[in-house]
Amino acid sequence: MLNILLPILLFTALALAVLGACRRVMLWRQGRPAQVDLIRGLLAMPRRYLVDLHHVVERDRYMSKTHVATAGGFVAAAVLAVLVHGFGLQSRILGWALLAATACMFVGALFVAKRRRNPPARLSKGPWMRLPKSLLMFSASFFIATLPVAGILPENFGGWILAAVLAVGVAWGVSELFFGMTWGGPMKHAFAGALHLAFHRRPERFRTPFNASAARSSGLKALDLNDSSAPLGVEKPKDFTWNQLLGFDACVQCGRCEAMCPAYAAGQPLNPKKLIQDMVIGMAGGTDARYFGSPYPGKPIGEHGGNAHSPIVSFEGKALVDAETLWSCTTCRACVEECPMMIEHVDAIVDMRRHLTLEKGATPNKGAEVLDNLIATDNPNGFNPVNRMNWAADLDLPLIASKQHADVLFWVGDGAFDMRNQRTLRAFVKVLKAAKVDFAVLGLEERDSGDVARRLGDEATFQQLAKRNIATLSRYRFKRIVTCDPHSFHVLKNEYGALGGKYTVFHHSTFLAELMDSQALNVGQHPLAFQQGGGLTYHDPCYLGRYNGEYEAPRKVLKAIGIEVKEMERAGFRARCCGGGGGAPITDIPGTQRIPDMRMADIKTTGAEVVAVGCPQCTAMLEGVVAPRPEVKDIAELVAEVLIETPVAPVKPSAAPKREAVEVS
Amino acid sequence: MADVSLEVITLVSVGAHPTSGRARRAEQDARAVELGLHLAGNRLQLLHAGNPYEEALRGYLGMGIPALHVLEQPKGADALPVLVDYLREASVQVVLTGTQAETGEGSGMLPYLLAEALGWPLVVGLAEVETIEGGSAQVLQALPRGQRRRLRVRLPFVASVDNAAPVARQSAFGPARRGQIEVQEVEVVDDILLSESTLQPSRPRPKRLKVIKAKTAADRFRAATAKASGDGGQILRDVTPEAGAEAIFKLLREEGVIR
Repeated sequence: MLNILLPILLFTALALAVLGACRRVMLWRQGRPAQVDLIRGLLAMPRRYLVDLHHVVERDRYMSKTHVATAGGFVAAAVLAVLVHGFGLQSRILGWALLAATACMFVGALFVAKRRRNPPARLSKGPWMRLPKSLLMFSASFFIATLPVAGILPENFGGWILAAVLAVGVAWGVSELFFGMTWGGPMKHAFAGALHLAFHRRPERFRTPFNASAARSSGLKALDLNDSSAPLGVEKPKDFTWNQLLGFDACVQCGRCEAMCPAYAAGQPLNPKKLIQDMVIGMAGGTDARYFGSPYPGKPIGEHGGNAHSPIVSFEGKALVDAETLWSCTTCRACVEECPMMIEHVDAIVDMRRHLTLEKGATPNKGAEVLDNLIATDNPNGFNPVNRMNWAADLDLPLIASKQHADVLFWVGDGAFDMRNQRTLRAFVKVLKAAKVDFAVLGLEERDSGDVARRLGDEATFQQLAKRNIATLSRYRFKRIVTCDPHSFHVLKNEYGALGGKYTVFHHSTFLAELMDSQALNVGQHPLAFQQGGGLTYHDPCYLGRYNGEYEAPRKVLKAIGIEVKEMERAGFRARCCGGGGGAPITDIPGTQRIPDMRMADIKTTGAEVVAVGCPQCTAMLEGVVAPRPEVKDIAELVAEVLIETPVAPVKPSAAPKREAVEVS
Repeated sequence: MADVSLEVITLVSVGAHPTSGRARRAEQDARAVELGLHLAGNRLQLLHAGNPYEEALRGYLGMGIPALHVLEQPKGADALPVLVDYLREASVQVVLTGTQAETGEGSGMLPYLLAEALGWPLVVGLAEVETIEGGSAQVLQALPRGQRRRLRVRLPFVASVDNAAPVARQSAFGPARRGQIEVQEVEVVDDILLSESTLQPSRPRPKRLKVIKAKTAADRFRAATAKASGDGGQILRDVTPEAGAEAIFKLLREEGVIR
């Protein structure tokens, strides 16, 4: 009897799966066109999944191993089951192979079930709680049904009762695993995920084997402002490109993004996982009532919904997502870094922000003022642009306008107007002069890099600033740009290229490390090196670390001045944001606590009395935490403190190098 | 509260940023546009006399208004006659302006001259329009120190807006780019006053010396918050216009405003 039932069940499920797949593809195709190399993507997909992605998936070792057994077993079992039971190839070898595959899958499914017994908060419940049972049912049913094929049990063993039981088990299994895959069940992640990897909007993220997170592709994609028919950002789900919609559909709701998101931890109304699920709801139509994960903090489930053709954010009443959810993001990219499906959350958020700013004029709080200032004064705080170089009035800095060329163009950034950051800048200038670097500054010709404007969604102002900066830079000759601001660094390095400005850009920590490597700097040991207790920890800026992969240079510099870094639990690629990126301090969406306070708590747990930073935003955010707290010092300041400036005539360094007077803070 | 039958026109000019001097939408004019949007929704009409190709004008369109009408004029031409001609024909009930332009002469005289030429009443320092019905409007006029005076004014009227009016909404790139600028050629009238007189840079008005008479914190607080009370003034009621003018003339003499 099973001989008749199983093929019917298998092929019905497969046919339904194909139907569902077509329907799903139609959903994705509601999106706008995108340039994707379909064939190459499909060919590269297995490699991307099995090799390039490995490192990211492996961060959760338990699930990674479980997934190998379950998914590997399932793929093999599915193919073999179709051959053995679908087409009736009753070969003993195939039978044994199928037994091995289902056994492997069964073992994996047991571990899935174990994880689901007391699941961590980040995991979604609902249908996902059913999945391990379905996996067990599928593997067990096919295992037993295959025993006669392998010759272990006689044909027709167990009679019609067992046959009926097995038929039910197989029916359950194939419903979940075959047509559930394309009809929106939990197994959808396998189908959409595979295609998402094939048609990813940033294929360059897969260029480093085994470690997709090391292949940086973090620059936002430019809007074509010359094409007046193209939408300015994303208003409705259908305004995303089709492969973005596909990417949302690939989400497996593992909640690793949720666990890393600083805004979520601070109780701001953002949860990257829910946001991606809301985009799926927007694509397919419906409400979030059937979402079973953590909500946006402070926003109950079941009140929001939408469809592909209605606006995502509504200004009267509720739609798919509230605007403050989108403005809570600090663009720290912790979610993107963590996502085992390589979903691009930040791109989606900025796309939606672009619509709110460029079309609706709805940048919250100080947003509009900052953007107006950027347009009128080239800096976000509306300072008079002629005061841009006041911080260096006594430093006699060489202007590139008078030199025309220099080895290093020192990009000062808008920190020039901020009295705290001026100390960092002055410290760095001191180091540059001590190392006899041939450098120059743009002076009054420099403008804001456009970073904040772009993260606030104002692509027009960003492009205007960028184009003017590019025009200025094109007038001079220099080998590279060095800046103390990771945001300027990122924008100059990764985002000016699309507008015609290609430069070699260094963050000052990388440059300092290079100076130290080439023995161009004469530095002593920092007093922190000799201290008992206390010590120093280092806070990775998002735009230097996750955006550009520079984790080593700052640590190398600190080591060179004798400081052992007491690492925080969340350091390197998992460093928690200071809360200062993406215009978050400007839009200032309230939460239950402040992100910099949480980061300062991380810092305090190391027992460090100084925290080294490499970013004016981080400095401002961390110094904004109430005392008592560790002191915040930029790497440039720490190096400048131990600089041994050689007198005009070279002399032997004395045994006890006299320490340079510390700048009064 | 946007009224579907109300015809409102806001006069806009090209502003200048106070620190950088770059062209922008003028602060007070933008507030006048905001007030106009409250009154008439996006049926609000915008009027500018000057160069239609000035990019800063798009800042007003970015507030969500589909079109801006420009009476094309070269720099230095007299805007008043062309505006008066246009407004006479436009059958509008409310004309809103800023108090003082950020560029050009910036004399702040335009609303007065306009109201005089049209023969319409003028409300200075309009803060809010409360109701408009039966051919008249009930409005709030802003006075110093946050005081408000409720006025009833017959339509049509001219009103100038200062910083007491609601803050202008953000100007968005999309609507600014899409908005239409309709250019109308008008007869160029030379500004004789401007061409005959000489301009000189303004000097900040010297500040009055502040004499602190208060002895206690309570006195200082009272002095800081009390109404500006003009003593020695007189209130004239039910006098003939001649007698009123006589009294004003006498006061101006005494104060040395006119000699």
